[in-house]
Amino acid sequence: MDISFKNVSYVYQYNTPFEHRAIEDLSFSVKSGSFVAIIGHTGSGKSTIIQHLNGLIRPTSGSISIGNFNLSASDKPKNLKELRSKVGIVFQYPEHQLFEETVAKDIGFGPKNFGIGDNEIMERIQQACTAVQLPNDLLERSPFDLSGGQMRRVAIAGVLAVNPELLVLDEPTAGLDPRGQQDMMDMFYQLHKQKKLTTILVTHSMEDALKYADHVIILNKGKKYMEGTPTEVFANKDALSKVQLDVPEVIQFLHEFKERFEGEITYSNQSIKQLASELTNQLKGLTNNE
Amino acid sequence: MNNMLIIGQYVPGSSFIHRLDPRTKITIIFFFVFFIFFANSLLSYGILTLFSVGSALATRIKVSYIIKGLTPVWFLILFTFLLHLLVTKDGEVLFRVFTYPIYTGAIIQGTAISLRFFLLILVTSLLTLTTSPIEITDAIENLLHPLKKIKFPVHELALMMSISLRFIPTLLQETEKISKAQASRGVDFKTGPIKERIQAVVPLLVPLFISAFKRAEELAMAMEARGYQGGEGRTKLRELKVGPLDWVALLCFILIIVALFVTRK
Ligand SMILES: Nc1ncnc2c1ncn2[C@@H]1O[C@H](COP(=O)(O)OP(=O)(O)O)[C@@H](O)[C@H]1O
Ligand SMILES: [Mg+2]
Repeated sequence: MDISFKNVSYVYQYNTPFEHRAIEDLSFSVKSGSFVAIIGHTGSGKSTIIQHLNGLIRPTSGSISIGNFNLSASDKPKNLKELRSKVGIVFQYPEHQLFEETVAKDIGFGPKNFGIGDNEIMERIQQACTAVQLPNDLLERSPFDLSGGQMRRVAIAGVLAVNPELLVLDEPTAGLDPRGQQDMMDMFYQLHKQKKLTTILVTHSMEDALKYADHVIILNKGKKYMEGTPTEVFANKDALSKVQLDVPEVIQFLHEFKERFEGEITYSNQSIKQLASELTNQLKGLTNNE
Repeated sequence: MNNMLIIGQYVPGSSFIHRLDPRTKITIIFFFVFFIFFANSLLSYGILTLFSVGSALATRIKVSYIIKGLTPVWFLILFTFLLHLLVTKDGEVLFRVFTYPIYTGAIIQGTAISLRFFLLILVTSLLTLTTSPIEITDAIENLLHPLKKIKFPVHELALMMSISLRFIPTLLQETEKISKAQASRGVDFKTGPIKERIQAVVPLLVPLFISAFKRAEELAMAMEARGYQGGEGRTKLRELKVGPLDWVALLCFILIIVALFVTRK
């Protein structure tokens, strides 16, 4: 699904003393099948952007197209339900939306609302469980008896079970342990490749953005601050530190290496091993020259 | 939906009305609500209207916002007016709607009652618009203090009030968040047959209750951890103080009331 935002602004509680401009004159586009990371501090408008993608809110000004759907201040798509069946959003702390008696019912809730048949739902529950690595014997338990991490997985499975074409993830790993975070991100990436999804990831982690995204958008106070491929964006360390954002550790390291030894290694998605050998070569070169 | 959530919500400011002691405001409003029923002449209504509208303007809150905040009440006011038109049968017949007679008395009474109603709501909403919930509770606790003598749990009541007030916006936010999350999973809160719409509330209420209980538990624990053990011997962070401003306000109000009685029929 292709997405484009054109000069989109959104004002919360428009026309009241509590008016709050959350995003301002924002334009960007996302190509079908790409993996886009949106990065910005808390309050920079990330979650606000995301809500537009499901027609939960409409822009105060500007226009948005998501596949065949168009949203603007005056334009309300009639088939919101269809849009929502194609765009799956994993909200921040999605475990807060669980409510059914059993895990299976909760996962099947979305598909049921979108009119999927019972047999198909059973199948989808199975698939979604496998995707999020949720043991099958939990299916008949109450979701409220599970651990936080398991609840998160159930909630995510509930979104995956709808089989969206566009998967939107709002800080999906916040509050998980480091190992759980890694697993979950790997799982999303695998899904992204396998099902040829378009994925939008909201994150605070530069490492994740570097590792998984094809395209990075940096937000600052509701405005687009930078945009480009991860290597492009993270090459610009000074601009990032102006808005108190760091670069990923690998890139930070190469930067310091350059300052110290005047060796030049540019990052282009090398693995740690490749980098290590490039580094050794350079260091050897340095010692030979002396 | 967002617009509905902010009715009577505190709008911080520094106007004369904002700076009054909350007890002054509550006292004035209490007596205003009482004395409004004494108005019976055009002039006396005029004086009360002048007082209410004047106070509303003095808050320096946008008039459009105050009016919008009253939206749900407009309907009730209109309803009251129409009801009076239909049932009151005093005075002469002014005109007929089809064959139904409308009396002059009905128009007068309808207007009077609706106006009273409007002024009541306006003045009480000025309290919540210009006074933070915390101040209101402090004031109520203070005003009810004498009831402690008859073992009335004043402090507990005030605590309950301030906690509820504190968590109303939180709960509203949570409601919005969860309803968005469920809408995104295909729940339709706004269209469809009544039965389905009622069922659609379950996925909203269950998570809401769970989070409310969780919050309550966490709050209780946090309060205990910080040594809370009831009102006995507790000191106040914010002391209420009656200043010259308050005396001026009270004096103005008393003058208004005197004027009210002078202009009564
Ligand atoms: N429902 C709301 N009402 C009013 N303001 C809001 C609401 N939701 C978010 N905001 C404000 O909009 C801004 C952007 O919020 P959000 O999109 O949630 O940021 P992020 O997800 O990047 O942390 C914040 O300043 C926030 O306080
Ligand atoms: Mg957010």
